Amino acid sequence: MRVLKITALAAALLLVAASMVFAGPTYDRVMKDKALKAGITNKGKPFGFINDQNEWVGFDYDMAKEIAKRIGVEFEPVVVNNKTRVSFVQTNPPKVDMVLANMTHKRVRDEKIDFSITYFFDGQKFLARKGAINSAAELKGKKIGSMQGTTSIVNAIAYMKKLGDANPKVTGYQNEVEMFEALRSGRVQAISTDSTLLIALAAKEPGKYELVGEFISDEPYGVGLPQDDSAWRDVINFTIQDIWKDGTYMKIYNKWFGPDSETPFPMTEKIEMWP
Amino acid sequence: MLKRYFEKIWVQNTALLLMLGLISYYFTFVFEFRTDLNWSILITETEYGHMGKLLLNGLGLTITISIYSAILAILLGTLFGLARLSKFKPVYGFATVYVEFFRNTPLLVQLFFWNFALPNAFSEEIRMKLFELNFEFWAATIGLGIFTSAFMAEIIRAGIQSIPKGLLEASYSSGMTFGQTLRRIILPLAFREIIPPLGSEFLNNMKNSSLAMTLGVAELCWSMNEVEALTYAGFEATAVATVTYLVLSLIIAAFLNLVNMKLKIIGKGQEPLTRRIADALFWPVGAVWETVSRTFRRLTRPKASSKTLTPFQEFMHTAKSMIWKGTVLGSKVIFVLFLAWLAYRTIMGVASFNFTIIADNMRALLIWRFPKGGSTEVFFGLGGLAMSIVMAVFSISVSFFIGLFVGMGRTSKNRAIKVPCTLYIELIRGNPLIIVIFWMYFFFPVIFGIDLDVFWSATWAMTIFFGAYIAEIVRGGIENIPPGQTEAAKSTGLSYLQTMRKVVLPQALKQMLPAIVGMFIAAFKDTSLAYIIGVPELTTAAYSINNRLMLYPFEIYTTIAVMYFVCCYLMSLYSKYLEHKLSPEKVRLEM
Repeated sequence: MRVLKITALAAALLLVAASMVFAGPTYDRVMKDKALKAGITNKGKPFGFINDQNEWVGFDYDMAKEIAKRIGVEFEPVVVNNKTRVSFVQTNPPKVDMVLANMTHKRVRDEKIDFSITYFFDGQKFLARKGAINSAAELKGKKIGSMQGTTSIVNAIAYMKKLGDANPKVTGYQNEVEMFEALRSGRVQAISTDSTLLIALAAKEPGKYELVGEFISDEPYGVGLPQDDSAWRDVINFTIQDIWKDGTYMKIYNKWFGPDSETPFPMTEKIEMWP
Repeated sequence: MLKRYFEKIWVQNTALLLMLGLISYYFTFVFEFRTDLNWSILITETEYGHMGKLLLNGLGLTITISIYSAILAILLGTLFGLARLSKFKPVYGFATVYVEFFRNTPLLVQLFFWNFALPNAFSEEIRMKLFELNFEFWAATIGLGIFTSAFMAEIIRAGIQSIPKGLLEASYSSGMTFGQTLRRIILPLAFREIIPPLGSEFLNNMKNSSLAMTLGVAELCWSMNEVEALTYAGFEATAVATVTYLVLSLIIAAFLNLVNMKLKIIGKGQEPLTRRIADALFWPVGAVWETVSRTFRRLTRPKASSKTLTPFQEFMHTAKSMIWKGTVLGSKVIFVLFLAWLAYRTIMGVASFNFTIIADNMRALLIWRFPKGGSTEVFFGLGGLAMSIVMAVFSISVSFFIGLFVGMGRTSKNRAIKVPCTLYIELIRGNPLIIVIFWMYFFFPVIFGIDLDVFWSATWAMTIFFGAYIAEIVRGGIENIPPGQTEAAKSTGLSYLQTMRKVVLPQALKQMLPAIVGMFIAAFKDTSLAYIIGVPELTTAAYSINNRLMLYPFEIYTTIAVMYFVCCYLMSLYSKYLEHKLSPEKVRLEM
């Protein structure tokens, strides 16, 4: 019995010690292992999803792959979701070296993890049945769906309050499927989240839904990175700028958001370039 | 020598104190928390609103859902429990299908069915009327009530069947009608028998209400997630939710103990304190019941002159019984017609399915991306049904050993063993599995510095969770063995471990097997909860496919419901077979 206890204790101590060894700066770790673990969602079309050939694809997936290629290390995608995308880079040691999961750069998030420069520009909108709603103001007192674990729901409530709705009825669904199903079945009159996701949803039944009103928020997407690792953040930032500079960015962009794609979304902004 | 010391109370207490000291030493001096705890977010207004109020609202909704669904569950449970005993085959068959179906599919999948598929059964107008109401809330509440009712129906049926036949014969021969026998004999006796298992169903019901979050109902678990998503104060939010669920569980358990006490038959003047508290608490209920039933009795008491009937009265009497017979026959016909309509609707519904969609995605539902998964995916990208089975098999086999030792530990007389075991069991059993998964996933790695991926955290969370339940089954099994056997074993010179291994456990395990198979079924169904942290098991696979297709949720959800059902039902058949095989009085002796 005693021997058993001592062994267990020793094993526990060893495990703690082993994890200490790994907990070094991300840059050193990636360069040493020659492998880059990237957190990507597999439930958010068109950023990361499983296609009909059962392959994992998407804009975020391609971007992450390109980054890994340019750094010259092996690319290892890891599944994350809305609940895990921050905590995966937040843990010590981080479970992934970077996260590309249509994640908006927010100050609250930046207090916990670091972000790269913006690699995608989006904004939040409303999606409603075609012809049913003409402006966002008409949504006052109506039911609206949004997504839990995102700031979309907070933005939508704040926006409706600003329009004069004292008690906005916003339901937070678990993910895009349920949110869209709520709109399709008619239990909510509009849904609200980042516009690219809404376009992807609307493309499922072409001509039946339309985006309503103006952008109600700016959603600059950044790559989530472990806190306080300047060397690593520089590498990511420079790589994103390089990808933009030689035109690879637009190639990837047009593959997913170009006029011929399933989810057309014209590019309007430029990536921040430092002289 | 050491053993004798350990039998002394003060040594045990010192050992307990030492453990407590070591734990507090570890957390105050050795362990460094990665992020600073910020409890103030719970009491101050943040950028996104007041988080404390959000959690309080969540608690309110959790309590409301639990109460409504518990009432529905006990009503439906009694109804279907009785229906399971009916001699009329269609009623019996319908009740059996109801119980088996709802017991053997995961609650999560059922909730999705109520929320997404059910509204399509109504016309456009009614659907819109329904959506005007708080639809998600009612779908969650009714779905939860129906799920719990299937378990309660079985408990109630078992309770009723445990009543000796002689009592029923006696009551009929003394001239009581069926209604009177039911009310006066069957239900009171049966309920006394089944209060403990029924109580644990009420507890489960409360804990299962946490799944309402998947429909977007802002109950406690939902609020906890929202606080985490908005402020990243995950530790604080989860800690608050854990404590709240524990307190709720304790309150329900205490209340049910009082009910149990109140129903126990105890001689006058020998009542313990708890019984007196229970008496005082339930006095108003009893008083109201007495008054109502007395008035009812007086009103329906037959008049003294009713011993002889006038021809008119006789005619009325026969007419009445004719009408009654007619009503019974009529309702039987209506019921059969209703069943036929239900079967027709189901067949039509299934026939309109897009079966190519199901066929195309069958491979992904069964094995996900295996063997084409990337290097970071567990088991070469294995997922879907296969992953659910792997998770269930692992967690049940490991939790069996945890349960065995902890269950033995809880029956131990030694405090230094008994107290930690009891704490473990009660702490885990007081919380929903979702909360245990969150702890295991977000905080266990931080506290112990072990890096777990989603698969292993979910699997270990389930293992720890079911370990606590199996420990209770083991304890029940051990306590069922007559104490004389242990005494006999001890007097022949066997040590504690030998007694356990050679005498107590072989007998206890035999009794426990059906209950443990029941746990296996529960574990298999609960693998569906791992979708919350993104383990690619069956429910997650269905989600991802649905996310790509969007337009065929019913096909996908029905397919996985059938998959879960087939697996669980096979296991429950096996459990029945075991139960039959292991009870010697039912087996025909062969020479």
